[in-house]
Amino acid sequence: MGKMARIIGILMTVLAAFGFYPQSSADEFTAEDLKRWEQQFMVVVKQGEKLFHSGDLGKNRVSCDQCHPNAANTHPETYPKFQKQLGKVVKQQEMINWCIQNPLEGNPLALDDPELTAIEAYINHERRGVPMAPGKH
Amino acid sequence: MRRIVYGLSILILLAAWAGAAEPPLGLPKVPIPKDNPLTPEKVQLGDKLFNDERFSTTGKVSCATCHAKDKGFSDALPVSEGIDQLKGTRNAPTVLNAAYFHSQFWDGREPSLEEQSAQPFLNPVEMGLKNHEPILKSVRTDPEYVRMFEKAFGKKAQQITMKEVKKALASFERTLVAGDSPFDRYFYGGDKKAISPAAIRGLEIFRGQGRCVSCHTIEQNHALFTNHLFHNIGVAAQRMPANLDDLRAAVQEVKEKGVDVAVLSNPKTESLGRYAVTRELSDMGAFKTSTLRNIEITAPYMHDGSLKTLEEVVQFYNNGGRLKETDPVPELLDGGIRPLNLTVEQQADLVAFLKALTSSQFVKK
Amino acid sequence: MMRLNRRDFLKSTGVTILGSALPFGLVKVAFGANNPGQKFTFGYISDAHIQHLGGPKFVRNWDRGLIRAVQEANLLSPRPDFFFFGGDLAQLGTKEEIDHGLEIMSKLQGKVNYVMGEHDYYFDLGKYWESKLGPHYYSFDHKGVHFVVLNSILTHDEWTFKKWPTPMDRMLAMARLDNPEGSPFLVGKKQREWLKRDLAKVNKDVPVIVCSHSPLQKIYKGWNFWTDDAEQVLALLKPFKKVTVIYGHVHQVQYNQIGNISLHAVMATAWPWPYPKTYSQVKSYLPVLTVPMNRADPFFERDATGWQFIDWKTGHADMHYQLPNNKDRGVAYNRKTGRPEDTRYQDPKKRIPSQKHF
Repeated sequence: MGKMARIIGILMTVLAAFGFYPQSSADEFTAEDLKRWEQQFMVVVKQGEKLFHSGDLGKNRVSCDQCHPNAANTHPETYPKFQKQLGKVVKQQEMINWCIQNPLEGNPLALDDPELTAIEAYINHERRGVPMAPGKH
Repeated sequence: MRRIVYGLSILILLAAWAGAAEPPLGLPKVPIPKDNPLTPEKVQLGDKLFNDERFSTTGKVSCATCHAKDKGFSDALPVSEGIDQLKGTRNAPTVLNAAYFHSQFWDGREPSLEEQSAQPFLNPVEMGLKNHEPILKSVRTDPEYVRMFEKAFGKKAQQITMKEVKKALASFERTLVAGDSPFDRYFYGGDKKAISPAAIRGLEIFRGQGRCVSCHTIEQNHALFTNHLFHNIGVAAQRMPANLDDLRAAVQEVKEKGVDVAVLSNPKTESLGRYAVTRELSDMGAFKTSTLRNIEITAPYMHDGSLKTLEEVVQFYNNGGRLKETDPVPELLDGGIRPLNLTVEQQADLVAFLKALTSSQFVKK
Repeated sequence: MMRLNRRDFLKSTGVTILGSALPFGLVKVAFGANNPGQKFTFGYISDAHIQHLGGPKFVRNWDRGLIRAVQEANLLSPRPDFFFFGGDLAQLGTKEEIDHGLEIMSKLQGKVNYVMGEHDYYFDLGKYWESKLGPHYYSFDHKGVHFVVLNSILTHDEWTFKKWPTPMDRMLAMARLDNPEGSPFLVGKKQREWLKRDLAKVNKDVPVIVCSHSPLQKIYKGWNFWTDDAEQVLALLKPFKKVTVIYGHVHQVQYNQIGNISLHAVMATAWPWPYPKTYSQVKSYLPVLTVPMNRADPFFERDATGWQFIDWKTGHADMHYQLPNNKDRGVAYNRKTGRPEDTRYQDPKKRIPSQKHF
């Protein structure tokens, strides 16, 4: 019985090495995985860049970059924080929605809307490298 | 009746006194200046001064005339009336929670309760006195006052000055704080049933599509409902000086009579708002953001009392700074004001929320 | 001029009188040796960005900004001699936008000299603008000062005249401030040669004021806070004793001193731009002198926007920024240090939190 188990185990490992089975170890991802996943992120960043510059998010054709070129002055590293315009501590997405509703005169996006994720991805990507500073006004 | 009013006032005083130690639900600690620490003796003295009608030329007008306890510490009039029913130009702000403001009067022309208290005595359409001498004469000779001033300030008769009078009045006013409204119990007290579903929707509109919260602040652990700033929201747009000649005339009047007298005597000059104080064009027609606490019991509304009901107020804001959509909007309208596109239901919800801001001690049973 | 009390006098005639209140203590103004020209005031309204949405509809926010500036300017006393409009009247340079902007500007009481902006230019290369407002660049003299208006937002021919699908595509490409496929602003050879000939007629003692849309210096290329031939233009101005450059485009307070040339940015009536250093991925060169404007609260649509009037007394510009929702700001030339300075906040110890941009 033990011998059988050992043979099956070796067989599974060999097959796994050839990708025949889903990874059995969570801590194994390859350089290829990393590259692929980061590229998928960049695709979403590009979608966000397009939305950010489009004038389609609100009802008045104003686009986010008209006040935030290169997403400057959005301070993504400071969220969650007390947001004066909302009167409470909020997440970044809530402030993005505030901007869509107010300067852009539009309707808020659902918090799990892929468009909102894309906008957030673009904003954060343009701010990469800046240390976290949650709560900073 | 008098007994009830007296009893009520003691109750309010005691409740407020308790509040001075531990602020009411929804409010922060009352700011108290270092040079005027709060004592029960000053408060009682201030109460007496506040209600003393002798400090006017006719002997019939006191602070309480326009800031009446049973009218939300206002007077239910569009603009206040002083001696001989002389009409001013501005609506009496409530004294409730005025202690939290960073400046006093609709145009912020005085920095503190102390400084504010001395002015109405000298205004021709309020108490009408030429100077403060009649007040000083009274407090230096009336035995009750002499006794109370000595207890409160350690000053004897002839030593009493307007400084002490102002400090006593301010101390009394610092006890007129009122939180603990249904909104406070819902928002800060965790009582999910404290306000109606309409008011809950109204709160979300207040913080969202209504765009109210930026000026009428609600913060994480307290709500003052004011950002202490001055904004031209479009009230009395037609009265404002539209050209340079009109403006020069109004400024000239302010310089000759002083802001206090000029603005209460002439509706055109009155409409200058904060500009009369700072002379900066950005302040033209701008008035201080009021608190909204107890707003239900302090009608009519705005600096000239021109809006009669909360429904009119919400309609005014919904139309972007005018009662009727066809009214003109002033060129100098504050950038925070714009049409809101609220539905009829949303407007009603907003009014329901505003009615939930009445402190428990003032809710009509 | 009406009899003013001291405070009004200060407000309307500029800031050099404040003396000891300022951090560096101004030397008393002395006329004589250098010719400052006469004393006068002129107004400057800029960057309205009127944006058309179709039919009679325009973006309300930008309309309100220009309307407010015009009304405030009409209430300024004493009256300024004339006004400039600093460029970008329209957002996409269409006839509707230019017409609507000019309709609002028509309420302004005073003559207006117009400066071309890129948002006015790249749709039809300034054709409609010229038909309503005259030449793209010109000069004139006023009370002993030589004024030059340049069209500094041209760019390389290869970009302007390449195969664009439509003129609006070219306009949209230039309209996007952070466009990675943008092209840097230029005054260009033709205008520089015109400028050389124009300045040849002017005595070196005469103060010169140059009004352009783009900054005649190199601050941040990525947002065209930049003029590619700035050095060549400034070289033409260098021989003059007193030169002031006033420019728009940046929608923020900026000021600098390059040799004998003071440079001042004007505010936009429409919306504020962030300072380039808030884009953390790149290097930029904001003049170290500049004390930034306060950070905008986007709830207040007019915050960090405004207009300005300029007092001309000593051969230098005293800028008076009129800022709704904020205390007004002043930038005045300091004779002692030889450079423009903020009249309230230049001393680093006097800064306030809202001036921190990050």
